Amino acid sequence: MILAISGKGGVGKTTIAAVAARALARDGSRRSLIVDADPAGGLAMALGMKPGRTLNDVRKELIHEVKEGARDERDLAVSIDYLLAEALTERGNLALLSIGRPEDAGCYCKVNVILKDAIKGLAARFDETVVDAEAGIEQVNRKVLGSVDYVLLVADTSMKAVRTAETISAVGATMAPGAGFGLLVNRVTDEGQVEQVRAATDLEVVGWVPEDPTVRRFDEEELSFLDLPDCPASDAIDAVLASIL
Amino acid sequence: MKALIEEWSGEGRLRTLEPGASPWPRGYSLVLQEDTGLELGNPSGASLSILAWGEPSEVCDGRVSLVGPDVAEAGGGSIPFGQVVLVGGEFDNEYDSFRDIRDAVYDTHLDGFSVRTLPSRQTVWCRVSTEAREGGFSLADLGAALIEELKTVEPVSCAEVLFVTSERDDVERLAEPARGAQRVIEAMMKMYQEANFDCETCEYKEVCDSVMDLKKIRDRLAGTIPPSPLREGRGGGE
Repeated sequence: MILAISGKGGVGKTTIAAVAARALARDGSRRSLIVDADPAGGLAMALGMKPGRTLNDVRKELIHEVKEGARDERDLAVSIDYLLAEALTERGNLALLSIGRPEDAGCYCKVNVILKDAIKGLAARFDETVVDAEAGIEQVNRKVLGSVDYVLLVADTSMKAVRTAETISAVGATMAPGAGFGLLVNRVTDEGQVEQVRAATDLEVVGWVPEDPTVRRFDEEELSFLDLPDCPASDAIDAVLASIL
Repeated sequence: MKALIEEWSGEGRLRTLEPGASPWPRGYSLVLQEDTGLELGNPSGASLSILAWGEPSEVCDGRVSLVGPDVAEAGGGSIPFGQVVLVGGEFDNEYDSFRDIRDAVYDTHLDGFSVRTLPSRQTVWCRVSTEAREGGFSLADLGAALIEELKTVEPVSCAEVLFVTSERDDVERLAEPARGAQRVIEAMMKMYQEANFDCETCEYKEVCDSVMDLKKIRDRLAGTIPPSPLREGRGGGE
């Protein structure tokens, strides 16, 4: 199962992804790949994990391989398998892959295609994959979400965030026709806000997360969400995940 | 390479591993750090992989040798790793044969054992799961699986494998033969892929001039002599 968490910037999707990673780490029985697809790298920070290398580093090395190293496509395929493994930061049953910030704009279609296939192959070896997608619809447009099974759209109670989620859903449905989509309303201070969102959108609201001082404190103090104690927000996220995964 | 093997053998450090009673089960395994019983050739440590081929008479068919501790003796953690695969056979088409032999090495996957290769660095990085280690997995099993897979390649008539797990210095001593083997392969790949026989401008001229096989391939590809089975000399790569 590949789960992507997407939404407008600033709605708390990285926190949702971090709490999802916490749930998978606590379960312990399933090997899970966590992909920090936001170039800002917030998820790695939220999990207290420090990636040594990023996918962008792998991409750069592969470009070098194409130019000077690997002798043919098979060599390139085994190289990427090695380099991706090297880029994983592991903790228990979790392995984190950070996308990193692209630094060069060159077009290396061969590398990008092989890389995308390799990530799909890597994800297939894990029981679960959770992707913290880049804010907005850019990655949806670039078909990054093309192979996901479920897109969890995160919005706060603002209509702007809900409309962004609708756009992602509309574009994503054409890119990943088989994927499921659901809306998670975050930072709810009053249950009535959830009803307002329900009334304003056709998206299926799969759950809501209350504003939670424990989550806020972990965020403000840069504590690892893998160590987050049970709290109303984590309970709500766990329940939504249980219904999806 | 041969001199190095003789030296280790003379020092009593090289031993032949006996194959297990039955082949280790095949399977593709993802071994995470927490499940790892022994890591070999971690990217931050010493690692080298060599694939070389030559005359059947130079290969001791089926032999798996080891310098250093086997999996059960290593005590866990992470250790250096060198893997030398030698094959012998009749190679009419060196390019296709090389790729088939190389793919046979890449395609050898065992249950509870993950292996990753980076051809440009000639490194191989393996993890043995705790379960496999406790279940008696040995480098003899890996060697036997590699040999079995290699012998599915039609022109391969014999194969042997040497592993080095002793210390960083020993693995690093493989670097020179590994570099030589890499250059031979690169020269051959260039000949086949680029079909450019302007030796005066080629960076592999020195390699081709010193390796009889490469000169023959070059001459044949350049059309100066008719195709013929390759019999003399040897090549190597990875």
